[in-house]
Amino acid sequence: MKIRIVMPAMLAIAALLGACTSMPRTTSLLDQTHVEYRAAQNNTDVGSHAPLELKQAGEALALADTAAANRDSAERIDQLAYLARQKVALAQEVGKRKAAESDVASSGKLRDEMRLAQRTNEADRARLATDAARRDTAEANARVSALEAQLADLAAKKTERGMVITLGDVLFAIDRHELNEQGMDTVRKLSQFLQQHPARNVLIEGFTDSTGGASHNQQLSERRAGAVGRSLSDQGIDRKRIEMRGYGQQYPVASNATTTDRQLNRRVEIVLSEDGGRIKPR
Amino acid sequence: MNLNFRPWVALTMLCAATMLGSYGCSSMKTPATADVAVSKAAVDNAAGADGAEYAPVEMRMAREKLALANKALADKDYQLASQLANEARADARLAQGKANSAKAQAAAEALESDIRVLDEELQRIRK
Repeated sequence: MKIRIVMPAMLAIAALLGACTSMPRTTSLLDQTHVEYRAAQNNTDVGSHAPLELKQAGEALALADTAAANRDSAERIDQLAYLARQKVALAQEVGKRKAAESDVASSGKLRDEMRLAQRTNEADRARLATDAARRDTAEANARVSALEAQLADLAAKKTERGMVITLGDVLFAIDRHELNEQGMDTVRKLSQFLQQHPARNVLIEGFTDSTGGASHNQQLSERRAGAVGRSLSDQGIDRKRIEMRGYGQQYPVASNATTTDRQLNRRVEIVLSEDGGRIKPR
Repeated sequence: MNLNFRPWVALTMLCAATMLGSYGCSSMKTPATADVAVSKAAVDNAAGADGAEYAPVEMRMAREKLALANKALADKDYQLASQLANEARADARLAQGKANSAKAQAAAEALESDIRVLDEELQRIRK
């Protein structure tokens, strides 16, 4: 019978198969996949972010291991190992992706905080700059007010040649060029002003009425201008800043018909320049 | 394998199973067709996620295996078609995974760069 002939051959094969059961079959691909799977298990990103993908890879690897234990063909084991290996790699990629996404979430918060800090900083600096500008303006205004107050105190009037302070006849001794006490007082205020504004200069012009001779009036007007100028320089104002002229009875400001008018014409005018300015003579 | 079985019975069964496998039972046709369809979807998804740009090797393998799977399906080799389809799907999913992680890492790096610039700016201001 056929079976009796075949039997010994089959017994031999059975013995061979029997010998194989003590040696589980594996392939290099399966071994490699195991190595990669262990690495994925040890990767904290994979464990925390891709547990599902890791589990699926583990299940696929178990199928490959079962095929190896069952001594399936190397081809079959490799097919299953390949699938497992790709799934292990996928678990790694998912771990990377989610770790990066979580980075983006926390870094995004940090960046927003930094932007806020930056903007707050800019707002603070802008505010400080505005405050400083306001202070500067306030100081400038205060200086202008102080100046205006001083000029008002000196009864200065604005003309096209500059501010003009008029020292009337009453500030001089009668028909003399010396300044009386009140006159000295005015000159003292003027010298204070000039000390506070070192860049300003003065032109002192003397005038008389039309009584008396022309040359007498010319001399008197020059002497009066000179008295004011000397008084200023005595109080410490640099002579270079002081110019003095007499015009005698020229340039009257009133008629010479009445006593009052004539008194008005008897005057000294002090022209104040702007900072560093020169004053045009008449 | 259990050695208590009489060897010739076991061997016969083994032969029968192999024969069935290579000739392909018609009951394997539906699952094989389904596998190939699912794999095609996976390849399309991976392509849509820029898999070709970030994981060209895996994408190429996926497409090749999908083509071979379709051919196996036409040849009625359903077991082969399923196997190839499964591999193609694994390759496609890996390609998609690589593309997504590359994009996420690029986004994280861009943000780090932003933060570095802001930090320098803040240091400069504080000086």
